Amino acid sequence: MNTKKTALAVAGAGVLAGVVGLGILAVPAGADEPPPVLPSITAEQLVESVANAKIPALNGKVSAQENLGLPIKVLDGMNSATVWADGQNRFRATVPGRTSERTLVEDGGTLWTWDSQKNTVTKHSHGQQATPENLAGKDPATLGKDLLGLVRQYSDVKVDGTARVATRPAYELVVTPKPTERTLLREVRVAVDSETRLPLRLQVLANGQADPALKVEFTELTVGPQDAKLFQFTPPQGATVKERTDAGKPHNEAEGRKGLQDFVSGLNLQTVGDGWDTTFVAKLPGDLNSMLGQARGDGNGKARDMDVTSLLKSFGKEVSGPYGTGYVFSTKVATALVTTDGRVAVGAVPEQVLVEALGQVK
Amino acid sequence: MTTLAPVRAPILRLLRSELRWIYRRPRTLILLGLLALYPILFGIGTQVVDAPVRANGDQSVVAAVAGNAMMLPVIVLSTTMVFFLPLGTTMTASDALAGEASHGTLRGLLLAPVSRIRLLAVKAFGVAVVSAGAAVMTALIAFVTGLIIAGPDSLVTFSGTTLPLADGLWRVVVATGWVIVQMWAIGAIALAVSAATEHPLLVMASVIGGLFVFGLLSSIPVLDWLHPFLITESWDSIVDVLRDPMPWENLTTGFLRALCYIVIGYSLALARMVTKDS
Repeated sequence: MNTKKTALAVAGAGVLAGVVGLGILAVPAGADEPPPVLPSITAEQLVESVANAKIPALNGKVSAQENLGLPIKVLDGMNSATVWADGQNRFRATVPGRTSERTLVEDGGTLWTWDSQKNTVTKHSHGQQATPENLAGKDPATLGKDLLGLVRQYSDVKVDGTARVATRPAYELVVTPKPTERTLLREVRVAVDSETRLPLRLQVLANGQADPALKVEFTELTVGPQDAKLFQFTPPQGATVKERTDAGKPHNEAEGRKGLQDFVSGLNLQTVGDGWDTTFVAKLPGDLNSMLGQARGDGNGKARDMDVTSLLKSFGKEVSGPYGTGYVFSTKVATALVTTDGRVAVGAVPEQVLVEALGQVK
Repeated sequence: MTTLAPVRAPILRLLRSELRWIYRRPRTLILLGLLALYPILFGIGTQVVDAPVRANGDQSVVAAVAGNAMMLPVIVLSTTMVFFLPLGTTMTASDALAGEASHGTLRGLLLAPVSRIRLLAVKAFGVAVVSAGAAVMTALIAFVTGLIIAGPDSLVTFSGTTLPLADGLWRVVVATGWVIVQMWAIGAIALAVSAATEHPLLVMASVIGGLFVFGLLSSIPVLDWLHPFLITESWDSIVDVLRDPMPWENLTTGFLRALCYIVIGYSLALARMVTKDS
């Protein structure tokens, strides 16, 4: 029968087309693009142009991925924030949740944050001071130069070819620690948009790891005028509005800063080493066992009545050395060492450097 | 084809009688009744549950939902599309061919002066009408329930903006249309299974069971290469219609994915129908 054959042929073609269609949907678009050809530029010129760049009107998607080697993914909810800018220091960003969203709107005089899950708006009127120029308080070009000078003391900075980020051609700026530096980090790569000079991608690569330990990038970016309505916010009906103003702030801030200073001086925070090897060493108030007692003492109920030592044991590795005994927590980019007598050392360095740092602090 | 080809039955009459068959079945009516009650109970229930929570100045996700004539239909659709709507769709598809086969009535239909392709088209039409009708009814009841509970000025999006009624209605229409296409994809696959077996329960078990397996597979990170092939992969993104501005990307991908499933499902059903022994 002829109709039967035709029908079978149509059916076969249909199944094939459907499967191919699913396959096309599964492949991310534009995966294998060759790196663009761009006029060459020195690292100095590139850094200076980035420092001078103004954020243009744009909308895009930002994703962040980490591969730090921690038991939990810290950036899990952050893989598709959407951002908008109008080119005049008004911004909007949304961080979608599964069935919720957090929105941040900077309308030039007020910073609004909205949390749909809590149905709450926070309103922070700050006047005109939140512009990047004011925050820096310095000529951006000099700032760029100063920064580059500081970084160059410990690292090699160069422009390493080009890349395509969110379909836009970009320069890759690479900061590599000098060979004498004993850090866990291999390099930091920043892709800079060739046209707007916006940083489009930041990658932190650790030693012995092919995938970046940390990657923040634009997955989509369109430069062009945006709807002005995006940069306004009116609290919805029935939402709780919390207000924060600058009037009451200096007082609180000073108080907060003092509290922080007390805490920090109590910690006896010191830095050992410089550049990439910088290690922070602190002394906790009391040793681990007394802290355990404290946690028990001010604990309300059984929830806080936990065994700190067993907690440390479950996350860290028990070690001993000239400092006594302690626990080491290692990730791909940083190591922390907590001793049982309450000393803490943290840095983007291997365990050995932390041990030496502990030895230098009495 | 012989020259004595019998007169073709008018297609409209066939479609009408197919629908009459479907809507006369008590199980169809019971399921539709449950679907109609669901949004009302959901809306009122969340209001009752929410009252003490809101007194504390806090509000849960579900609570924010019911206070909104736009969110209620979308959340109701997103919860019914994972079970009740596929159930109704699959039930109709399993009755359409496997059910007829198990009663021995399919033989008559295959021998009748209706080509098998037309027979499949009539059955596909019946399944499509039932799933679309169920989705539209559920969304409409939820929308009206939301309007009665919260009034027309409360169309707050996830992003904190308040939409005019027409925009809110448009979002609900988009969500409903999108769910209908997803259900048509389920219906296409169910009809293909239905054409291949004489046991209606096997259709139900394989399609509904398949959906659960898909849900399971999509929660296994190692299989992430497989995830874009699962139809359930984009079902979460129905709530994107509640964001402002509305991100179309995932909805479009989900729509295209459903189209692929529809093409595959009906192609398989067609192949099975024309090779079936009468």
